[in-house]
Amino acid sequence: MLSHNENEAEAAGGHEHPAWQAHHFYSGAQQKASVKLGMWAFLVQEVLFFSGLFMAYFAFRYLYPDTWLAAHELLDWRLGGLNTVVLLFSSLTMALAVRACQLDDMKAVVRYLWITIGCAGIFMVVKYFEYSHKFHAGTLPGKWYTFDGIEGGAPEVFFAVYFMMTGVHGLHVVIGIGIMLWMIFGPIRKGKISKDYYPLVENVGLYWHLVDLIWIFLFPLLYLVR
Amino acid sequence: MSASAHAHEEHGEHISSLKSYLVIFGILLVLTVVTVGVSRLGLPSDISIMVAIGVACVKAFFVAGWFMHLKWDTRFNLLVFLGGFWFMLVFFGFTLTDLGSRGNLIEANDNFSQRADMGAKYAEPAHHVEGSGGHH
Repeated sequence: MLSHNENEAEAAGGHEHPAWQAHHFYSGAQQKASVKLGMWAFLVQEVLFFSGLFMAYFAFRYLYPDTWLAAHELLDWRLGGLNTVVLLFSSLTMALAVRACQLDDMKAVVRYLWITIGCAGIFMVVKYFEYSHKFHAGTLPGKWYTFDGIEGGAPEVFFAVYFMMTGVHGLHVVIGIGIMLWMIFGPIRKGKISKDYYPLVENVGLYWHLVDLIWIFLFPLLYLVR
Repeated sequence: MSASAHAHEEHGEHISSLKSYLVIFGILLVLTVVTVGVSRLGLPSDISIMVAIGVACVKAFFVAGWFMHLKWDTRFNLLVFLGGFWFMLVFFGFTLTDLGSRGNLIEANDNFSQRADMGAKYAEPAHHVEGSGGHH
């Protein structure tokens, strides 16, 4: 498919290819496109693996509709709503970090990344309070469920689904924090990111927006199911 | 054509304005308020969940289109991403159809939902199982 580009690529790759270009790419443009495509393929995998959890939610909701309606009353929609706003805002700052790359303002990139990390931290702190409340109340998955006061069968299944979905999502938030910290202290500090080459920041951004995207569906389904 | 000019063109380099990002963020906040508001109207739960999922899809559209820059990305990347959602819908469609039609094939599975006693195994307190199956 690329063969008709070969001459041109040879010309580009021959002498004046940029430092960031890996030798197994014909051209910088091809490298950028490939790196991006790889990320989208990874995101598709993320969507499909989360879809298994969403399917579990829908299947058990279908089997135990009354339980689902009763159990969600035990989740605090205000905390869920707060976390929604926090994540949306962090998505905004992440998008602005990528924009700052385009404008070649690396100071602003780092600043926006720190704000994004801060929001992710707030998200996890709220999550911690929600989880510890449930540990005290005994609204836990499976055999650890000790709460008494939900009408309908199998409330422990609702909480299995709840903890699995929010837990795996929370894990993604924590991993996101780690990647952003690494990016700030690694490639950005070493000056490897610039206006000319920033797919790393773009891809971390895409990952972060997907984490936000999943929460956009988790919030109404878990906290507002009515 | 020089390599850098080529890369430039290929990459699409659309730089959205600060204002456009803020507008999208504003839209997302409003939609969050809408989805909370609708859930508190006391609509029948079937309708309520349809609205909730619908609003979430609109939010996802704005996040994917503007924050994830799909609006300016190559059509191929868009196809890849939407393809993922297509397969998700196939997965949901077949699984829900199966779940909802068990009784049509095997009569013993008629009240499959009541038979799903995976939960009862754990919790001793009597769950009230209404109309518990006339089938055994």
